[in-house]
Amino acid sequence: MNRPSGSGPLWGSLLTLALLLGGCQGGIRPVNGINQQLNRLGSSASPSLTGTWLALIATRQGGRAQVQLIDLQRGAPVPLLGLNRADSLPISVAVDQAGERLAVVRQRDDRSELVLYRRSIQASQTLAIEPAGVPQRVNLSADGRVLAVQVSRGGLWQVDLLELP
Amino acid sequence: MAALTVVLSGCSLGPWRRQAAPQAGLGPESRQQPALSGDGRLLASLVERAGRSTVLLQERLSGKVLPLRQLRSRQPHSSPSLSWNGRYLALLVQQGARRQAVIEDRATGRLQPLFLPAGEEPQELSLSPDGQRIAVEVISGGSERLRLFDLSGLLEPDPAPGMRQSGGGQGMTP
Repeated sequence: MNRPSGSGPLWGSLLTLALLLGGCQGGIRPVNGINQQLNRLGSSASPSLTGTWLALIATRQGGRAQVQLIDLQRGAPVPLLGLNRADSLPISVAVDQAGERLAVVRQRDDRSELVLYRRSIQASQTLAIEPAGVPQRVNLSADGRVLAVQVSRGGLWQVDLLELP
Repeated sequence: MAALTVVLSGCSLGPWRRQAAPQAGLGPESRQQPALSGDGRLLASLVERAGRSTVLLQERLSGKVLPLRQLRSRQPHSSPSLSWNGRYLALLVQQGARRQAVIEDRATGRLQPLFLPAGEEPQELSLSPDGQRIAVEVISGGSERLRLFDLSGLLEPDPAPGMRQSGGGQGMTP
């Protein structure tokens, strides 16, 4: 397929045509069972989807934001003992393919920190941002070996990459 | 480009190695919303091009910029997400006054629009490593919700090496 010439109307026409030819929702199908579970979590954001795991930040009405990890095979959240704390607010989360490592950026005591959580041992490790900066967003490769962190540093957004053992 | 700049050690989960992000173009520039391929080989991120947020795809170690044939316009781009080998790049692009979720298939050069239910405005995406599902954060009825969609009828799997291909998309009884 050749690239459209870049004009808005042509692109819009192609999208419309694709919708008409592709049928309902362009060939994507909602996974209804999981979506019903997600609705029950309240407001939810920051998705990280890997294989059979979906990590997210959910906020029930009147409650605090919490990291949740959904086992998509069972259609239910799994416990994350020790990760969600009363004194912290998660703002970004990522999970690896095995559902073992979760990387979280959270606000705690008026500062942002990057935390790596290992589910099998229920342990969190704060990862230092060096040179100093304010982490905002995190992404973890599905193999769990590389972490990419968006950091505010010196008035600039930068991306730090960390290779994990 | 030298990949490794600092070695850290001395913690229970360490040591881990810190790598400078590859710099494309004319030196340091603002870079946001990083997304790694499943194998960690590729990095997508957002940079400013002519004042517009534009997705940039690079090899993580060398910094080599990889072409995205279908995404040289329709900025601002946001929320990039890569499949395991980086065959698929999902992101949000601008379509008129609305945000549109799309997936570029780098193997075929095809750009696949994803049409969400009416009234749901996409904010953020996460593509599963095999490319068979996508999680979409939407604004619906004034609140943030997540929706999971099956793409197995739309995309071939992009499996991890050594992984048996499956039909994908089941896993949960509707």
